[in-house]
Amino acid sequence: MPISNGYMPGLIFYSNQIVMIEIEKLRKADIFSGTAILCLGSYSIYEAFQMPMKDSYAGVQNVWYVSPALFPLLIGSILAFLGILLIRTAIKEVGMAGLKSVLNYLSSPDFADFLKQPVTIRFYGIVLNLFVFVFILIPHIDFFLAAIIFLLVFFFMFYCGSDEGIVGLIYQIIIGGVILSVFTASGLAEKIDTFAFFSADILVIFFTVWLIFHYYIVAKNGALIPKFKLSLLIGFIAPFTIGIIFKYFLLVPMPHEGLVVSLLDAIWYAEIWS
Amino acid sequence: MVFIDRIQTFFGIAGGMLTDPVSIAVLFGSVLLGILFGAMPGLTSTLGVALLTALTYSMDTPMAMICLLSIYVGGTYGGSYASILINIPGTAAAAATAMDGYPLAVKGEGGRAIGLTTTASAIGTIVSMLFVVSISPLISNFALEFTSFEFFLLAFFGILISGTLTAPDLVIKGWIAGFLGLFLACIGRDQLQFYPRFTFGISELESGIEVVPVLIGAFGIPQIIDVLRSRTTMPKAKKLQRIIPEIGTVLRNIPAIIRSALIGVGIGAVPGIGEDIAGWVSYGTAKNTSKHPETFGTGELKGVIASETANNACVGGAMIPLLNLGIPGSPPAAMLLGALMLHGVTPGPMMSFEHPTFILEVAAILLLASMAMWITGMILAKQVVKVLNIPTPLFMPIIGVLCIIGSYSLGLNIFNLYLMLPVGIICYFLTNMGYPIAPLVIGVILGPMADENLRRALMVSQGSFTPVFTRPVSLILFIIIVLTILSQFGWYKRMVEKVKTKIFNNPTVR
Repeated sequence: MPISNGYMPGLIFYSNQIVMIEIEKLRKADIFSGTAILCLGSYSIYEAFQMPMKDSYAGVQNVWYVSPALFPLLIGSILAFLGILLIRTAIKEVGMAGLKSVLNYLSSPDFADFLKQPVTIRFYGIVLNLFVFVFILIPHIDFFLAAIIFLLVFFFMFYCGSDEGIVGLIYQIIIGGVILSVFTASGLAEKIDTFAFFSADILVIFFTVWLIFHYYIVAKNGALIPKFKLSLLIGFIAPFTIGIIFKYFLLVPMPHEGLVVSLLDAIWYAEIWS
Repeated sequence: MVFIDRIQTFFGIAGGMLTDPVSIAVLFGSVLLGILFGAMPGLTSTLGVALLTALTYSMDTPMAMICLLSIYVGGTYGGSYASILINIPGTAAAAATAMDGYPLAVKGEGGRAIGLTTTASAIGTIVSMLFVVSISPLISNFALEFTSFEFFLLAFFGILISGTLTAPDLVIKGWIAGFLGLFLACIGRDQLQFYPRFTFGISELESGIEVVPVLIGAFGIPQIIDVLRSRTTMPKAKKLQRIIPEIGTVLRNIPAIIRSALIGVGIGAVPGIGEDIAGWVSYGTAKNTSKHPETFGTGELKGVIASETANNACVGGAMIPLLNLGIPGSPPAAMLLGALMLHGVTPGPMMSFEHPTFILEVAAILLLASMAMWITGMILAKQVVKVLNIPTPLFMPIIGVLCIIGSYSLGLNIFNLYLMLPVGIICYFLTNMGYPIAPLVIGVILGPMADENLRRALMVSQGSFTPVFTRPVSLILFIIIVLTILSQFGWYKRMVEKVKTKIFNNPTVR
């Protein structure tokens, strides 16, 4: 049952041959996404059966049509059905041979090559930087410092850096992230903060300075100094502009307020203005 | 009398806004920001509305609406700049514009094309505003007759139709996306018995998932990953000459503008269908009805006018189901719904009682925003074009910071970020595998409404589904849903074909 509406905005300008190749790839991927949808639907059904159906909950005797399980059961069943339908459609189009070729591909050197392709490495770099920013930097580091390092890493990756440089940056982010996680999770940061202020922030400042210095040398060797300077300028101006608007004009407290926010508070609320 | 009262109120509201310098500043500022957002490839009006939602949190509701609707109108129009001048659509809504817009720019008529699209977009928005004012009371009154069954079926229909029409690949994937959204909406304590569902013992999930951070993640993160990952370098923009359009050309194209506006309003009013489809349908209609279809694609002004009028008319069209039924007509309208909920306004049939002048306020904002867009477009087009020279690797990370601080600021909860990022990455993969995001978002928004109304309806009917078949609106919605589903099956299409052949080829029938 191939159900296609034939509307393909992304592929509309390409030749028929490319569309066919894309569609074949999509069908192969559909087998996996369909399986994931089937699993999610089955999980929803399983969880729904754990919810009160006809028995009493919080002193209320249930009937099936008021049960909190009704909607998850309905959605789970539809998702499972659609997952099966998607797998069936995909297998019908690419056949079992298509499925086999995907499995063979996953264990072939071609797949290993794909994982090392520049476009894939760029993806790792983007996702890693986003994850480190959200899960490590924002909860523990002053927002301004976190945003500066987040922006600089992206600029060094995609504006004044090359694909080869991304791998190096990925290692640096991983090492920096691990050190910071250990430093904050072990309680070391708190202990140091009893006699020195904002130790985690200072650690990140050191890392940022080192990163800037490192990329200054890279940019100098690659004749990219104008791009490097612009990256640095925007990397500092943007977080301060955004942060100040949110913190002082919209009165949104920053996720973590540390060294920079304390300095800004001291300036913003200084008595000389009043 | 009621009609005259409404006109008086409408002009009173519009006049009030025009005489308030703050409102005017916000109006022009937001329209300009919207145009800049739309013009930069990779940024969309949806993302603009999403990010502005966080900034408008502390504003009062009318001011927030001025801000958000203006950025929506400006963003939808702004996409035409990149389409015409560099052949890369600034937004998906302006994709059809590139077909004839760029050839016009190559011929040295880029300024003329932008002048005409600005005028056509403004007229499109005004026509759609007229529909918002005139049709809303009718729909609102009609919707007052709706019971829980109708609302459940309406939500279901919204998800199905959105999945059907926005799926770039298989329709089934559009439906899956919609039901994934409904699944996400199940997370948290249910609204009738407060039983925790899919919370995994995480206390932050007990109140359900926050809609706006999920929407920011779903629209923002895939865009950031996609633009940075592809490392696209933008071609140099073509030069602009005279922008102010010739009145004669505008007048000659009035019928085409009106037709495209009607298409835009119609498509916008269908739940979950965005401006991009309106643009393509209108372009296709203009080409098919033209005496010289062969000129389309080579720099035909009618093609540019058709797509740009329709995508802007879609803005007003999308407001009709949003305001009267609580069902967003397009992805940016879904964001607007989230913003309205944050401001304590719940769109739906009760809107005319709870906020009697709200729809007129929206219509007045649409009128003023279209005028502000025209003025800004005419005066600042040459300056706006300069944003096309900003390298994407410089502004996309800043959008990332805005997405993150915006998601956090709504509720001041870091958990919003822990939700936003994974949702964004999942949406990135889904997009790459041909799943549309609009139905997912519509599902997240309509999920609570569908769940609550299904159970409430069954409670009233003591577990019976009979009212679906005895209530006319329910029955009509049910039949439409069944036909929408069946129309995707090959055997059904063949059957319909056979029946048609039998009827029309049967001599006894004739």
